[in-house]
Amino acid sequence: MLSIENIEVTYHHTVQALRGLSLEVPEGRIVTLLGTNGAGKSTTLKAASNLLGLENGHVGEGRITFRGEDVFRIAPDRLVQRGLFHVREGRRIFTEMTVEDNLVAAAYALRGRDLRPDYDKVYAFFPRLKERRGQIAGYLSGGEQQMLAFGRAMIARPSMILMDEPSLGLAPKIVAEIFDTVRRLNAEDGVSILLVEQNAGVAFSVADYGYIMESGQIVMEGPVSKLRDDKDIRSFYLGVATEGSARDSFRDVKHYKRRKRWLS
Amino acid sequence: MGQFIQFALNGLLAGTIYSLIAVGIVSVYKATRVVNFAHGYLIMFGAYFYYTFAVLLPGLEWAPGWLAKWEPSWLLAARAEAEMFSPRATVLDWLSNLPRIVLGILGSILACAVLGRVIERALMRPMIGQSAFAMIMITVGLVSVLSGAKGLIWTADAAFVPHIAPNAPIRFELFGSMVFLFGADLVNAAIAVILFSGIVLWVRYSRGGVAIRATAEDQQTAYSMGISVPAVFGHAWVLAATTGAIAGAILATRNGVSPSLGLFGFSVLAIVLMGGLDSYVGVFIAALAVGVLEAMAQWQLGGEWAEVVPYIAVLVVILIRPHGLLGQKEVERI
Repeated sequence: MLSIENIEVTYHHTVQALRGLSLEVPEGRIVTLLGTNGAGKSTTLKAASNLLGLENGHVGEGRITFRGEDVFRIAPDRLVQRGLFHVREGRRIFTEMTVEDNLVAAAYALRGRDLRPDYDKVYAFFPRLKERRGQIAGYLSGGEQQMLAFGRAMIARPSMILMDEPSLGLAPKIVAEIFDTVRRLNAEDGVSILLVEQNAGVAFSVADYGYIMESGQIVMEGPVSKLRDDKDIRSFYLGVATEGSARDSFRDVKHYKRRKRWLS
Repeated sequence: MGQFIQFALNGLLAGTIYSLIAVGIVSVYKATRVVNFAHGYLIMFGAYFYYTFAVLLPGLEWAPGWLAKWEPSWLLAARAEAEMFSPRATVLDWLSNLPRIVLGILGSILACAVLGRVIERALMRPMIGQSAFAMIMITVGLVSVLSGAKGLIWTADAAFVPHIAPNAPIRFELFGSMVFLFGADLVNAAIAVILFSGIVLWVRYSRGGVAIRATAEDQQTAYSMGISVPAVFGHAWVLAATTGAIAGAILATRNGVSPSLGLFGFSVLAIVLMGGLDSYVGVFIAALAVGVLEAMAQWQLGGEWAEVVPYIAVLVVILIRPHGLLGQKEVERI
């Protein structure tokens, strides 16, 4: 569905954000991309949705194809209309518009396809949005804003969604609700999803396959079932102490440092 | 009291024209966050285009005679019967000018739309994603380019052009006192109000309006909704240019075409700031208020005060409300 091959990205021609990153999202799957702050996760998504040009980002080498087509040859708005939808970090709802108008804006993604926007479906998914449809979206709570961001994605009827840290700054209960939606979108509508997260626990609960990136490169990949059992991932991303005991000696601290080396 | 109503009405009519100019500045600002300093010069071009298509072109040798003066036999006969300077005669005079008025307005709208499109394509589109400040500076530069270009293309100054509507004097009673208006002013104001409210309703309730507002708030996110940001930019500029063309034609009929029309844009910019850059309603109120204040100052203090008093009021309003009367501060989540 989406394949990223060996791309390099620099910002302002000076800061190198991605150095030869490759990944693949097969059709109908949920793939997660994990990494710490500044690893280049958001840059990867922006490269895929061709939004980098607006931020002085420059793609040097490599290519990204969506359904076999080079995304850099397609304008960002056309890319959305072809079914690649990007739910951006920090939700990015239109704060000065009403909830309803936010959804209407997303209906532009249906241009050129013979589809009607299905607002009722969104309101059925998120009844709270229906209650607040006439409200200015900027006054919604964080969780409701995330629901609205998802609602927009549903209106756009994408075949693939790029999701940038949907759990950011939300209460665990809301996070569970949001990820439930992710799972449903994938299962019911067959939407492929590339999910960027820092919270490996929730990401693994929905994803089939995972990539781990550091400093603009993929350092590890594998099916989620395998990643979940990996010792390093357990200690660095899931926060589970290895060998079942708390670290209490200097020897263990050194062990931590040694193990971290593959990440840097 | 009679005088007061008369001047208030004059002020309101002038205010509607200001609002028609202001609508272009607000539309471009809403879509692109660019304060268009060159809007007055777009309007000046609108006025000169109207002059070109309504006066110069029909006056050419190869132009058909009916274009300059349409005089079918029934019209001539009717005019011979009509009393001189009666409303009926004025309407008949206007009728024989109608072909060139229509040509003038259509030509002006089209030429201005092309001009707006070219400006947007050549100067604004390459700047998408850059800071709005850089784009604003481009419009400042555009002021010089447009006023220079005007000097190269047209040499005539203060030339007169036909009124858009029959300019019959109208007398009627209002609140117990007689008032006196010109028919053309009334029609001009009606055109301005209809266009203004049409645009406001369109931006507020149509899908296209949603695209404009979305782009105004966040270009990248608008893109990621499938909204073509460059197309929105283009539409906003064409909208500004076409309303500017009509405003320019109206101004030309009131005071004749002259380069000073360009400067007029700056005083309307002050009105826009007073009303709130992103608020159509606020700007409409501000435009009417400045129009009335101008008329009142003229009545009580004399012509030289008419240009100062309203803008002092503008300054006071901006000092008290920096975002303008109804301008939107950024929404903060509670």
